[in-house]
Amino acid sequence: MRSGAPQGASEHLLLGPFYRLIGMAFAIEFFVRRILQGAVIVFLVSFVIFALLRVVSGDPVRIILGPMASSAAIEETAEQLGLRDPIPIQYGRFVAGVVQGDFGHSFIRGVQGGSTGGSQDSEGLDTDNRAPVFDLIMTALPYTAILAGGGVFLALLIALPIGIFAGRNSGRWPDRFALYVSSLFISLPNIWIGVVLIFLFSTKAGWLPAIGYEGLAYAILPAIVIAIEISPVLIRAISVSVSDNLRAPYFALGLVRGLSSNYMFRAHVLRNSAVPLMNLFGAQVIGMLLGGLFVVEYIFSYPGIGLLTINAIFQRDFPIVQAISILAAVALVLINMFVDFFSSLIDRRLKF
Amino acid sequence: MAGASALGAVSFLPTAGLPFIKTAASQDVKTLVFAAAGTVTSSWDPTSHTVAPQITAEGFIFNRLTNCPMTPEDPSEILPDLAVEWRSVDEFTLEYKLRQGVKFHDGNELTAEDVKATYEYGSDPSRPASAWYPGRVDVEVVDRYTVRLNTEAYGYPALNFWYVSSFLPILSARDIANPDRLRSRPNGTGPFRYSETQGDRIIFEAFDEYYDGKPNIETVVWAYVPDANTRVLGLLNGEYHLTERLEPEQYVSLTGESGITTDRSLSSENKYLHFRCNKPPFDNELVRQAAVAAIDRDQVLQLVAEAGQASDCHISPVKFGYIDVPNYPTFDPARCQELLAAAGYPNGQGLPEIEFITSVGFYPKTREYGELVTAMLQAQGFPVKLTTLEPAAWEEQLYRGSDGQGPGHIIDVGWITGSPEPDLVLRPNYHSDFALINGIDDAELDAALDRQRGAVSIDERLKLLQEETLPMLADKVPAISLFSSVFLRAMSDRVSGVKFYPNGPIDLSKATLS
Repeated sequence: MRSGAPQGASEHLLLGPFYRLIGMAFAIEFFVRRILQGAVIVFLVSFVIFALLRVVSGDPVRIILGPMASSAAIEETAEQLGLRDPIPIQYGRFVAGVVQGDFGHSFIRGVQGGSTGGSQDSEGLDTDNRAPVFDLIMTALPYTAILAGGGVFLALLIALPIGIFAGRNSGRWPDRFALYVSSLFISLPNIWIGVVLIFLFSTKAGWLPAIGYEGLAYAILPAIVIAIEISPVLIRAISVSVSDNLRAPYFALGLVRGLSSNYMFRAHVLRNSAVPLMNLFGAQVIGMLLGGLFVVEYIFSYPGIGLLTINAIFQRDFPIVQAISILAAVALVLINMFVDFFSSLIDRRLKF
Repeated sequence: MAGASALGAVSFLPTAGLPFIKTAASQDVKTLVFAAAGTVTSSWDPTSHTVAPQITAEGFIFNRLTNCPMTPEDPSEILPDLAVEWRSVDEFTLEYKLRQGVKFHDGNELTAEDVKATYEYGSDPSRPASAWYPGRVDVEVVDRYTVRLNTEAYGYPALNFWYVSSFLPILSARDIANPDRLRSRPNGTGPFRYSETQGDRIIFEAFDEYYDGKPNIETVVWAYVPDANTRVLGLLNGEYHLTERLEPEQYVSLTGESGITTDRSLSSENKYLHFRCNKPPFDNELVRQAAVAAIDRDQVLQLVAEAGQASDCHISPVKFGYIDVPNYPTFDPARCQELLAAAGYPNGQGLPEIEFITSVGFYPKTREYGELVTAMLQAQGFPVKLTTLEPAAWEEQLYRGSDGQGPGHIIDVGWITGSPEPDLVLRPNYHSDFALINGIDDAELDAALDRQRGAVSIDERLKLLQEETLPMLADKVPAISLFSSVFLRAMSDRVSGVKFYPNGPIDLSKATLS
């Protein structure tokens, strides 16, 4: 039997502002602490990426000027770009620019976007004729957002029913089915599945376009590849979480108090199972998503952040790689921060 | 890429498009989409770069004075383009009579002043692509449609422009006077004019006033697609009409595929192993000769399969002067051991560790035949270590640095140019003034290269090349040419009338899309 009006309602009314104050103080303290921690992480990640780019072989100036450029021209341009300064000085200059919102200009890409290296005009390299990195990222970002959103949506569409069904039927055939589906998906390399999907559904059947982007339909096949990559982790997490909650004492207690199994499942199990799922998103799925997007966008020649990054790495276009690394680190920090915050709201026993 | 047999295995899929999604294949008969393996630089000035994909793009936009089809049957054939007549006036002078009524894309007429501005600007040593020019040149405007190229002030015969004139794009004098315009917007006389760039896509539109008639194809879309599998899949699903730089396996798979036509054309590129000749052990000619005697080029060619063709020469069969050089190195382990012993390294004992640098992801099969060549050299006692690098890292290692040295001891590279002119290969690679990769400094070789360059007739030059220069290179082996590259392309069978040039450019001026 359900209880009527909550006991102690008048007490709540009196202490409400106090609790809200406590809650706000917790939120402020939480965000200040996590933003400071996040800033340190972003700083370290950006420095490591910055330094590694300059340590690996492949001189961007050789790519900027082309194979026939003289050693003198190479050195002159490297000096002009500050690439011969010590790494900490280069990094300091870079950070000073970023703080002012200036991510610099691409070494390679012209103002219109598509470009490769191998050109030097008589006055030397004119970086103002190269595309601002921020603009390149802002042009590519909406495409990636569409793909990532579509991928996560499809992954949830696959993982939620299979995972929940498996969790409710632990040890029986739905649980085994979930295991088999997860095992199958996880064993399919995303490069292979991308090529196969293009071949089957675009090349042979002609159902879907696949290469590049000229409309939403172009995002469907790559989003399926993303979904196949991340759904095994989600299926496993959902099924384990649901199963654990069903075995938890509060579930049995609810049944003893006369609440129906379906009510307990809807009202409590699903809510409590969401916490590990959210944590999983912060810790693992977003990372997988970012990695998967690079490969998938390259295979599908999809004009998002992943393709921009891979081409930038091949061309040693340092400013693009640096900016995207920083933005990726910032995104991961922010997502984790919000995931932890909302997890703690759902389950107040959690402290971060 | 799935093989041909696998193509049929999925025929159960219905091919009708879903009602809510447009079908992938474009049926527009006026727009051709070219999936290109590379893209252009940030400057449209043709003298600002030596980048092969941009030279291909310039093929749509610009014309040259002459046109060399560069066929192995007749590498020296020259056809008219913007020039309709040409002759050698004397040792230092070539005369060209221009086609009349030719229009630039901006509407101005081509005149002798444009040719003068182009050649004098492009041959300026400060221009990054001046390496394509034999040297500086003065151009005399005889009348509105006649020019004379004169090299007397610079001390080399004008005949050196005889074949290069088919490679150098003709620009507008007004653009050359305005570098910003030259960089930002190409203005040629070619069949297609530049329209715009959309990210990794470049749009060209048919030029209404092209001198040889407006092309049937209204729009050419240059789509930069770095991944070879994606290019092929895009071709198969109809999003692309034409693609290039296929892997040999892809070429074989696509041959016989319905709706697809393949093209296999000998290119002007040879693939070389350069020896760093200015440091041990390859500063010793005997060690270089021993190394090339250890390499069985037939096996290399088997690995490269469709992407290579046998040739026994340091230049491609589509180059003027090509001959199967009689003394070209052959696989001979016994001779290899004799030479190693004569060099003081019996069975390879005493040789320092040799680093062989190659690339992966740019040329076909380089890693595979790099491993094969490494094994062949090791079998004869060369202590070789193979280093495989992705293209950017490899390119950094390729050329000699400011100290005159290059990393490693052997490095793999191709060399491609768009003219039958052999000196575009020979001089930058084997003359000690340049020797960009191997660093050879051999007075005898320099003298031979200078002699053929100084020849005052085509016949004399041919004789010097075939009887002196190329045999000398085969003997001194600062590099070994392993084989001549073959370009593998594929296109939709809706496309016809396409002409491919051996250095990459594609003539779509007479092409149709059905």
